[in-house]
Amino acid sequence: MTERKKMSAIQRRLIPSYIFLVIVALFSVFPLYWMLTAATNTTQEVAQGKILFGANLMVNFRNLLASAKLWGAMGNSFFYAAALTVLSLFICSLAGYGFELYHDKGKDIVFAILLLAMMIPGVATMIPLFKMMSKMHLLSTVWGFVLPTVATPFMIMMFRQNSRNFPLEVMDAARIDGLGELAIFFRIYMPMMKSTYAAAAVITFMNAWNSYLWPRVVLTDPNSAKTMPILIANLAGGYTIDYGVLMLGVLFCSLPTVIVFFILQKQFAQGITGAIK
Amino acid sequence: MKKYLALLLALVMVFALAACGGETAKPETETAQTETAADPNTLTVYAWDANFNIPALKAAEAAYQKKNPDFKLEIVQQSGSSDVENAVTLAAQANDLSTLPDIVLFQDHYIQRYVRDYPTAWTPIEGAPINWDDFGAEKLSYSTIEGVHYGVPVDNGTAIFAYRTDILEQCGYTIDDVTGISWDQWLEIARKVKEETGMALLSMDHSGDDLPYMMLQAEGVSQFEDGKPNFVNNDKMKKIIDVIVTGANDGTIILANSWSEYTDNTIVGNQVAGVMNGNWIIPTISLVAENSGKWAITTLPTIDGGKEGYAANGGSSLYITGNCKNVDLAKDFLAYTFGGGEGALETYDNALRDGGVITCCISAGQSEVYQEGVEFFGGQAIYSTIVEMGSHVPVIEQSDFHYNARTNVGNAITNIQNGGDLEAELQTAEDQVNFEMGN
Amino acid sequence: MERKQKRIGWYFLLTATALICVFSFFPMFSALVTSFKNSTGAQWITESGKPWYYNYARMFQDKTFMTTLKNTFLYLIIQVPIMLVFAILLAQILNNKDLKLRGFFRTCIFLPCAISLVSYALIFRSLFATEGLVNSILLALGFIPAKINWLGQTGTARFVIIFALVWRWTGYNMVFYLAGLQNLDYSVYEAARIDGANGWKTFWHITVPQLRPVIIMTFIMSINGTLQLFDESVNLTNGGPAGTTMTMSHYIYNNAFGTGTANFGYASAMSFLVFILVAILAVINLKVGDTRD
Repeated sequence: MTERKKMSAIQRRLIPSYIFLVIVALFSVFPLYWMLTAATNTTQEVAQGKILFGANLMVNFRNLLASAKLWGAMGNSFFYAAALTVLSLFICSLAGYGFELYHDKGKDIVFAILLLAMMIPGVATMIPLFKMMSKMHLLSTVWGFVLPTVATPFMIMMFRQNSRNFPLEVMDAARIDGLGELAIFFRIYMPMMKSTYAAAAVITFMNAWNSYLWPRVVLTDPNSAKTMPILIANLAGGYTIDYGVLMLGVLFCSLPTVIVFFILQKQFAQGITGAIK
Repeated sequence: MKKYLALLLALVMVFALAACGGETAKPETETAQTETAADPNTLTVYAWDANFNIPALKAAEAAYQKKNPDFKLEIVQQSGSSDVENAVTLAAQANDLSTLPDIVLFQDHYIQRYVRDYPTAWTPIEGAPINWDDFGAEKLSYSTIEGVHYGVPVDNGTAIFAYRTDILEQCGYTIDDVTGISWDQWLEIARKVKEETGMALLSMDHSGDDLPYMMLQAEGVSQFEDGKPNFVNNDKMKKIIDVIVTGANDGTIILANSWSEYTDNTIVGNQVAGVMNGNWIIPTISLVAENSGKWAITTLPTIDGGKEGYAANGGSSLYITGNCKNVDLAKDFLAYTFGGGEGALETYDNALRDGGVITCCISAGQSEVYQEGVEFFGGQAIYSTIVEMGSHVPVIEQSDFHYNARTNVGNAITNIQNGGDLEAELQTAEDQVNFEMGN
Repeated sequence: MERKQKRIGWYFLLTATALICVFSFFPMFSALVTSFKNSTGAQWITESGKPWYYNYARMFQDKTFMTTLKNTFLYLIIQVPIMLVFAILLAQILNNKDLKLRGFFRTCIFLPCAISLVSYALIFRSLFATEGLVNSILLALGFIPAKINWLGQTGTARFVIIFALVWRWTGYNMVFYLAGLQNLDYSVYEAARIDGANGWKTFWHITVPQLRPVIIMTFIMSINGTLQLFDESVNLTNGGPAGTTMTMSHYIYNNAFGTGTANFGYASAMSFLVFILVAILAVINLKVGDTRD
């Protein structure tokens, strides 16, 4: 009885928090709700500001399939984003591990220099990068998509910071057991940093999936399907735009990142700043 | 050292895995590419509007298949003309034209600079059996660079002024009352329309600012003179900006903030009783089914009135790139279809039916389809009217800095509307364009 | 033994370092070279009789560029603090163990940043159109007397951009803070409570200092993101009205690709100014907040 009373007293004190959170959540979700309803309406209904669900979903879906290589673009986006995520996580975590757990003056300097790489606007490096890819015959390949962003200072920084709490005693113990440095990375570091990997995977996948300018430039092959953001931009181009179809495309484009977040969200929250399990 | 080798091995394995995945995931891509290169009957083309120029290209493909049954046209959709421009820029900058398709659709206003900056990226279309006299001079003035023909015109950018006749009638006017008038008379009529119905009589996409350009062209005047921006000492320009600002302040001209606001809100959303733009705007007007039969088209007003104004806005043409492996086929295809050859009638008729693309090929514009009355426009034979109007569009001085001028004039309009002085703002705009041109 | 391990450490960061050198530093170097060339990047700027620093000097005479510089810093000064304070506040509220539905709220607030940039600009442009939903709602509720032309006036257009940025990125930053809060050392809090510190005091004197590494990281990320702001300017307002919402990156893009009057030399020079600005701000940030002993 008293226990319950105490509970409700706490809950009562939290009422302002709840109200605040509900308002913020509504603000956050409303544009997404609008996108959902728009996908079920005709373009005129969308333009007129209808915010209830309509009956045009199947028509929009058929039009979308007719006007764009939806499945091809979904497949491409998924493959490119997954390849980039796997490679990036491996390379960046290895570097973060090296920078933090073997850190000395020299490595600190190298790290500081690497940080500079994230400060230049992408627009400036686009043409030189394109020239390189063209010389290396990597245009329109997964490598062309992946290589420029597979090692990012930000990801290395994240792994490095999260490795700060990594117990050095464990490493020493492993060394005494005869494990090599690389084996320590694979057998001890990777499993223990699971949640950091999850967080890094969410961020990398999201960025890769949503990237637009570079894929537009590097995926030159006219005959292959492009990626989802490019498909959406194509739908939004032209003199007359069908908003129902466009928003359905946007919905398809948003789903995978939302799903990835849902699957990994628990580890994501823990992993962002390096909880060690 | 051993450990490093192990690490390398692991890396190679990961890479190899990803690479294998790559091949299985996109076999379609790889094979398609090689086929294109080997197939002597296939051409690839970049275009950017699924409802407009892409149906026109499909029509051309079908027409050419009568001559060459094995012919295939791979149409690759881009999100806009800027994608095509970027593709050419990148390919030329990287010295690797292999990334370009055989043919590209290219904006008229940019092509001159692109041909001059990157001559190897293009193949002149000289020698193709095309009767150039069959096209309007204004249109050809873009695609002819130093006397050499580079492109085949596709759509006709001739400007129309479409009015809602029912609204005009409500205010006591007919379509003839708004034909051949001066802009001052137009402003008066617009005020009346606004009072009686609450509707504006015109709108403009204020992020593209194409209205001043068209209004100037109707006067036979350019934004440029001898390669330099001509704003401050251009009385026509001043008057035109005055008309736009007056209209905007009266609420008779809506300045929309974006292309989508212009089309979706002002036109489709029934806020305006008049639309003035390139004729490619017709499909947008036609989106609102309940307005069928209520529209009619006419020419543009002019500053002095007493004559009809003609202008063009936003056309494009097809160009053969420097990467085309089968130039003869490309030339033959273009000449046979868009170039006024045997397949021209079929091409242009279907392009009109499926995409609303209006030809600038004069003979093709005489076909039966063009003479038909259009129900949406109250039975008016708008297409033949437009082709006829197109032949009157005056040739004016063009510039590579066309869009810079438009942007800065648009900025001046915003500032004048907010209380800036016309002379001073135009001076600022002219200075900025001069600066951007490096003058 | 120790030295040998340190040496092995180099191997681990070799791949990443090499990749960054090849795919970031080399293109950066190319861009630096281009910044001393003419508009097509084919000739040195000095070959046409201009001084070698021409493209750099040009920036300071370019009124449009100065406007974009001003705009970008305006976004930086207003948007970044609002967003980060908001994110910390939300994290603090959501960190309360007694709160129900925490996962639900967290997901709702994070969701906006899962959407692709292209899509979210489209959504906001439609919502804030003159005939859009925002005006309809505000009008119906009686908050405004007439429809507002949100994207057509400088002040409101800037507001929409800032609002959109806060909407999209607050949840993202919040997650970082939330995770930081969950890692805090709670014994310190117990001690503080015994000392009789109130909620605000513990937050300011214990939580914030402990969160400092996270705060610095989010600050650098946000500064970097804002100074390179591109999509919102392009897709929401297209820089308008009259260029008063355009960002530096947008202007650089226009100069390199956008308006058909490509000036690669000049665009590269402007990029380097952005690079220098970001680097300076990041260094200040690191110096102010360095906690590493």
